[in-house]
Amino acid sequence: MATDLATPPVKAVKATGHRPGRARALWRYRWLYLMIIPGLAYFLIFKYVPMRGLQIAFQDFVPFLGYNGSQWVGFKHFEDLFTGPDFGRLMYNTLFLALLNIVFVFPAPIIVALMLNELRINVLKRSVQSLIYIPHFLSWTIVASLTYILFSVDYGVLAGWIHEILGGQKIDYVAQPEWFRPIIILQTLWKTTGWTTIIYLAALAGVNHEQYEAARMDGAGRWRQLWHVTLPAIRPTIVVMAILMSGNLLDMSFEQIWLMTNNLNRGTADVFDTFTYYVGINQGAYSYATAVGLFKGVAGVLLIFGSNWLAKRLGQRGLF
Amino acid sequence: MSASRSRLLAGALTLTTALLASACSGTGGGEASQADGNTITFMTKLFGTAPSPQGELHQAIEKFLGKKISVTWVPNAEYQEKTNVTLASGNIPDVMVVDPKSPAFGKAAEAGAFWDLTEKIKQYPNLVGDPKVLLNSSVNGKVYGPYRIRPLLRSAVMIRKDWLKKVGLEAPKTTDDLYEVAKAFTEKDPDGDGKKDTYGLILPKWPGTSFAASSPFNTMDVWFGAPNNWGERDGKLVPEFDTPEFFEANRFMKKMIDEGLVNPDWNTLDTAKWMDPFVQDKGGIIIDVDVRTTQLLDLLKEQDPQTYGDKVLTVGNLARPDGKKFSFPGSGYLDILAVSKQRVRTEAQLDELLKTLDKLAGKEGQILLANGIEGRNFKVENNEAVLINQDDPKVKQLQDDVDKAFIQLGTQASTGATGIAYLRVPPEEPYRKDLAERKERVAEDLKTAVFDPSLPVVSPTVVAKGATLNPIVTDARIKYLAGQITEEQLKAEIKRWYDSGGTQIAQEINDLVSKLGQ
Repeated sequence: MATDLATPPVKAVKATGHRPGRARALWRYRWLYLMIIPGLAYFLIFKYVPMRGLQIAFQDFVPFLGYNGSQWVGFKHFEDLFTGPDFGRLMYNTLFLALLNIVFVFPAPIIVALMLNELRINVLKRSVQSLIYIPHFLSWTIVASLTYILFSVDYGVLAGWIHEILGGQKIDYVAQPEWFRPIIILQTLWKTTGWTTIIYLAALAGVNHEQYEAARMDGAGRWRQLWHVTLPAIRPTIVVMAILMSGNLLDMSFEQIWLMTNNLNRGTADVFDTFTYYVGINQGAYSYATAVGLFKGVAGVLLIFGSNWLAKRLGQRGLF
Repeated sequence: MSASRSRLLAGALTLTTALLASACSGTGGGEASQADGNTITFMTKLFGTAPSPQGELHQAIEKFLGKKISVTWVPNAEYQEKTNVTLASGNIPDVMVVDPKSPAFGKAAEAGAFWDLTEKIKQYPNLVGDPKVLLNSSVNGKVYGPYRIRPLLRSAVMIRKDWLKKVGLEAPKTTDDLYEVAKAFTEKDPDGDGKKDTYGLILPKWPGTSFAASSPFNTMDVWFGAPNNWGERDGKLVPEFDTPEFFEANRFMKKMIDEGLVNPDWNTLDTAKWMDPFVQDKGGIIIDVDVRTTQLLDLLKEQDPQTYGDKVLTVGNLARPDGKKFSFPGSGYLDILAVSKQRVRTEAQLDELLKTLDKLAGKEGQILLANGIEGRNFKVENNEAVLINQDDPKVKQLQDDVDKAFIQLGTQASTGATGIAYLRVPPEEPYRKDLAERKERVAEDLKTAVFDPSLPVVSPTVVAKGATLNPIVTDARIKYLAGQITEEQLKAEIKRWYDSGGTQIAQEINDLVSKLGQ
């Protein structure tokens, strides 16, 4: 039964090769196809139906008047956004953080996975692995509270140690705008690295050991093996992860940034996500906030297609 | 494939399809049900757990009104968010406690989501309350509902009394005195542990980005003679921060911060933790609303039930160095009870509802909301409410329903201002003393109160662009105090505020206020 179900329908199609065959295959695997329905329903209900609300980006939406009663204003909100005083700052802050994410956050799990892979003591490897992915289960609220406790200028333990070692003036890490980005990146590293490492470790486990043996026969050392065997083996995984990440580049972790924002670092901290929340939910400018969100969404889609195209150009297999 | 399995799958399929269908129709924005005349739906703030509709107080109120009530209780911390979401959802209750000046309410009201009660409310004296405060709670003169009363003046300075004694200083009367006290609290080891680990003034990170937010910063601005939000200078209304007095006040604050007389984490300290340093012998002065004294006494009492009365001294507003005194008053209200047009459709329904609300706003109704049930959880002595039977869990539940929930529906009675309900005084001496002093202090400070003339008006530009404009000066002031920018740069930021829309706001505020003919 299990093997019967697991046979991919593609083969059956290939075997017969024309339309009636496809229909027959559809019928033959009808129960399998039925299983898609919950997934499809999920996307329809929770992802596509709500898109109806996007129309308010082109209206002066007043909830009481509803979708039909509100006035259509075309691209007014987009014009306001692009010509407004906030756009440049938001774009700069968002892209800056995105860049830091690419440079520091993206390679971190790969490096950790490679290091763990080189460990030969299994107990150590496993315990380190477990320890570093635990932060994934803590919410951003807890991470932010911990940061405040550790780095507060008044009672912060870590801030106190750093001050004792380095001397000089006390630094208010959580309030200085120049420390905002380093803290965000450090938080992200601490929270996400361990978890993402699992994916790379899974990819590493799939590398054929004969390749290492062959490399050793050819006299390759550890570094050479890493460079010529391990990395090429997990390259497809890296590429897929990179493409997936590119779609989320403009998605900053809202909670994380919101919790770390204050009067002093707002200029550095404001990104599209916090701005839409502030304008939309706090100020009730639903249409404007939706326009900002829509712009971000479109930019995200373009980035996914762009990086997919780039991956293919560079001779890698893309996502689609 | 067995028959039972296909049935199962078919069942699952039906279920998904049904879900899909219902979800589709659900987003169609179904019309909100009409008020049935017998049930009134409310939405208001909650400070504990939501009372049960079967609860004693809930039942008593229904009996008193002769109508069913159904209340959506929303935790205070998320109230603004929930308000905006509710306004957007199109499922507005009959009566909604709401900030009339919030942009989301303004837009909804303008679109006709709420009844304009400017004329109608005059027929219901219980709902009008103080006409001056009612005007303050209006939107450019349009009244959308009765206001929830708050004391007209609440600003005060709370000081560690025992510390003051230790450093041998008198209670401050001027800002210069305040500076001296803060300096002594920082340098003279008032907690007596031999270490220099205390500071004078405790300032928190003020939430929100609106400039005039009743923060300690705004209070000190007014002390130095700056306008309270908006004020007249050369025949025109100007914002608080465009006056020499504002800079004077900020130089004073900056000096205290620079000299380390303020908690070092003043720009990140959460307001929820504001009292911690005071209670934990770290800081000695808080500038906030006077009801804070009660909370401080509560906390100190937990620590040491013997001496807590000697640890808090509350004084009123302070005079500036030249001896002139300006006091910082409030608006006299917090939120209004707006009536939704969505459920209350006809004038007849509205009249019926207003009659009920008027009954609730009368003395008997307000006592139910703010005191509870006489003879059950309190008794009246010398025209004051004295709590009774608090050991009975059922009565305790009733008391919690009053204090944490139903009092939030009160219009002419509240925790801070008793209004027409009975004054409730804790039996302990320190609390009684504080309340007696508060009365005198408020009466005295009201003589020098600087009122905000712009309270009744809402500038359309603030509604449209507030999200962008508000943080400019608010953040710049904090940055200046933190030493990140100079006074020149602060002035440049103020100019940027004017250039990005502030000029228009000033024009609108001036026009709207003069139109109201105050």
